[in-house]
Amino acid sequence: MEMDKAYRYWLHSLPGVGDRTIEKLLKEFGSAEQVYRAMNYLPSTMFKKNGLEGIKTFSKTWEVEREYENLLQRGISFCTLEEEGYPARLRKLIHPPYALYCMGHMPKEECHSIAIIGARECSEYGKYMARAFAGKIAEAGVSVISGMARGIDGISQRAAVEKKGRTYAVLGSGVDICYPASNQRLYQDIQDTDGGILSPFPPGTPPNKIQFPERNRIVAGLSDLILVVEARAKSGTWITVDMALEQGKNIYAVPGRLTDRLSDGCNLLIRQGAGIALAPEDILAELAVLTNREGIKSRKESKGSVGAARFLDFYPKSAEKLLKEMTKAGIVVELPELLAELIGLCVEGEAKQVAGSHFVKVHER
Amino acid sequence: MFSTILSGTVYGIKSYLVHVEVDLSSGLPCFVMVGRLGGEVKESGERVRIALKNTGISIPPMHISVNLSPADLRKEGTGFDLAIAVGVLIAMERLPCHCADGLLILGELGLNGEIKPVKGVLPTAICAARQGVGRCLVPKENVREAAAAEGMKAVGISCLGQVMDYLRCPPKGRDVMLPPEEIDQKKLLYNEADKKKKTGKGEFSEIVGQESVKRAALIAAAGFHHMLITGPPGAGKTMIAKCMPSILPPLSLEESLEITSIYSISGNLPAGSSLLAERPFLSPHHTVSPQALSGGGRIPRPGVISLAHRGILFLDELPEFKRQTLDLLRQPLEERKIQIARTGGSFTYPADVMLVGAMNPCPCGYYPDRNKCRCTPAEIHHYLSRISGPILDRIDLCANASRIEIRQLQSKKKGESSKDMRQKVMKARKQQKIRYQGTGYRFNSELAAGDLDRYCHLEREEMEMLEKMFGTLALSARAYHKLLKVARTIADLEASECIMKKHLMEAVCFRTGDNLGRQWDGNG
Repeated sequence: MEMDKAYRYWLHSLPGVGDRTIEKLLKEFGSAEQVYRAMNYLPSTMFKKNGLEGIKTFSKTWEVEREYENLLQRGISFCTLEEEGYPARLRKLIHPPYALYCMGHMPKEECHSIAIIGARECSEYGKYMARAFAGKIAEAGVSVISGMARGIDGISQRAAVEKKGRTYAVLGSGVDICYPASNQRLYQDIQDTDGGILSPFPPGTPPNKIQFPERNRIVAGLSDLILVVEARAKSGTWITVDMALEQGKNIYAVPGRLTDRLSDGCNLLIRQGAGIALAPEDILAELAVLTNREGIKSRKESKGSVGAARFLDFYPKSAEKLLKEMTKAGIVVELPELLAELIGLCVEGEAKQVAGSHFVKVHER
Repeated sequence: MFSTILSGTVYGIKSYLVHVEVDLSSGLPCFVMVGRLGGEVKESGERVRIALKNTGISIPPMHISVNLSPADLRKEGTGFDLAIAVGVLIAMERLPCHCADGLLILGELGLNGEIKPVKGVLPTAICAARQGVGRCLVPKENVREAAAAEGMKAVGISCLGQVMDYLRCPPKGRDVMLPPEEIDQKKLLYNEADKKKKTGKGEFSEIVGQESVKRAALIAAAGFHHMLITGPPGAGKTMIAKCMPSILPPLSLEESLEITSIYSISGNLPAGSSLLAERPFLSPHHTVSPQALSGGGRIPRPGVISLAHRGILFLDELPEFKRQTLDLLRQPLEERKIQIARTGGSFTYPADVMLVGAMNPCPCGYYPDRNKCRCTPAEIHHYLSRISGPILDRIDLCANASRIEIRQLQSKKKGESSKDMRQKVMKARKQQKIRYQGTGYRFNSELAAGDLDRYCHLEREEMEMLEKMFGTLALSARAYHKLLKVARTIADLEASECIMKKHLMEAVCFRTGDNLGRQWDGNG
């Protein structure tokens, strides 16, 4: 059995051999081991030009058994379509990936799973929503699936980890490569909790633009439902959404203001008939794991001497703008005084200063 | 026959007097000049010869030797022409023997005998006046400049013939013939400043909104802090910077003399002007070369940073400047002077400037407005890190100019005027002057780390708050020092001897941090 896996690993690692070719080869020869033994007799029509030569030279330096042991030693497990452990959700796809690499744990079949996705360059509002939704969802025992990208993806997975929930990251590179590198800690933490890092690409594959749609397809495939937190009208998030729709999954979107370009994608989705995610419970209800509905709570504002907290928003506002709004509301305050109070709020962790003198309300830490 | 005439020149930024010695002796007819002369000084002989000829004086066929003493210092410039001509005339006995004694003579000759303006008149005149020379003959374009030197009676002349008439006249009758230019320095300074004010250049009340940048500008001017303005394109960063000179205290006489000397040496003084009354504002383009900024050449001419002495050096689009160029500012910003070493010697130029930088917050310029800005954190970080840490270290204040809405532009409401702001600045500066009496410090921004405890004492409550801020805002030790200095200035603006909580908080608001990228980055 272990030897079979080693041969499958070899088959999947072959350069220029994709899932379709593997499928054909297996149909022709029966098993990966058979393919290996018949290497010299493989029909060259199955491969691209010079493809067969490439395979042969690759296999010369590849010691099947040792390479597989090496893989296991690095803590990477490997599972193919032909095996029991392969996620059932992926099996249902039209072209399921032949193999899945995993660091940590494979997704639990019996648990519900939700993909939380969104823009990499997100707003403070997006961050807050990602955090609030992912935290609740993870707490309810539902797995959070995402791509561990910067922005919404990473933030929701971080929230799930913090709530001691399960989260699975599907990467567009090999599982041994942490991309983006800025999420190194999250990458580690996901493995340390019950979650796992997954990838359909052999270890050592560097991140590449063309691999990300496939990554997104698997994110959609592994989840029962997709939640879009923040997306622009034209963005990579749509690839995941389109693929999820093809797979017949439900889409939910967090609504945003019409004037925010970062919420355009979500609002468009809602117009097209996506579910409106007003609270994590809306989504949990869809999956029938509803507890009681609490909704998204806005944070209790502390009362400063001038009451600047009330005027802060999840979108950065400059100190002048705040001053103007406050004057309009009838609060007489001098700029130095306001600045002092705003910094006070920053110290309390209720606000954050971005790009000089812009201030933004901050999500709960 | 032998004669000695007093002239002068500048070497680097220092000026010194030169004795022009002329001797006529029999021998092969020729015109020999010695005394470590630069190219333009060597050519002087030809100009003198022809100018004399065209004034109707033929030079006798004799061996003419000219020595410029001290002979070991390099002479540059065209200011010796007139002195040499007068020396030759005396040596030829066409002028009375001691007619030019105690007279400083400067001027370039044209071939027709006219006298043209030269550079460096003011510093030379000051130097001469200090050494007891009370009268000078200078080109009439330079006469107001020379007259600004204390104790110097400056006489303006326009052609060689006039000079000869003047020197032939006995000393008593000279003032009647060509009255010396008289200037009341203080009055002059005041009048000039007044004239400038009427032209209405750079007035803070004309700036709409941008209250926080104005506030930062006020603090910066009060404590002489270097400042950085960030903001989207078209927010008025440049406009605010241009208004900065209007809130700095008016120039004192000493300062004006310093600045005018530098401008005189570099030939940047407008023709016919006397003392400069306005603080300089220099805004070099970001393609400026390191030499142009620091001062370059074998005997370096003052660079942009020295021309901005006692004024404002405004660097627009700060990240676009070459790193090499920016790093050059490190020493001058610290020591308030720039030292340039050349094979010919080391030169020290004054560079007491207030640095004001302006930049966009990200490559596209619109961060943190995420509706417009799609720059990734990596891009923003890369953009910001083009400004080297050491330069950022020296910048104490950072303010953000936000985009102006059309409604604001249309409103008739005027902000605080430059005049009021200048009053506040001067008050705060007075406090600093009293506090730092006899210590060598002038401004809060100059405080060394060791003296911070003494001058920026914090009460226990403030200490605790500062500690808390350090934890939550992840400030560094360097930021701590800058913070205290800025808080000190804010307290001075309010005439408060102790630094209070609100002062500290405001200072934090304008902090720059070690790493703009980290502070900017909104990604949690």
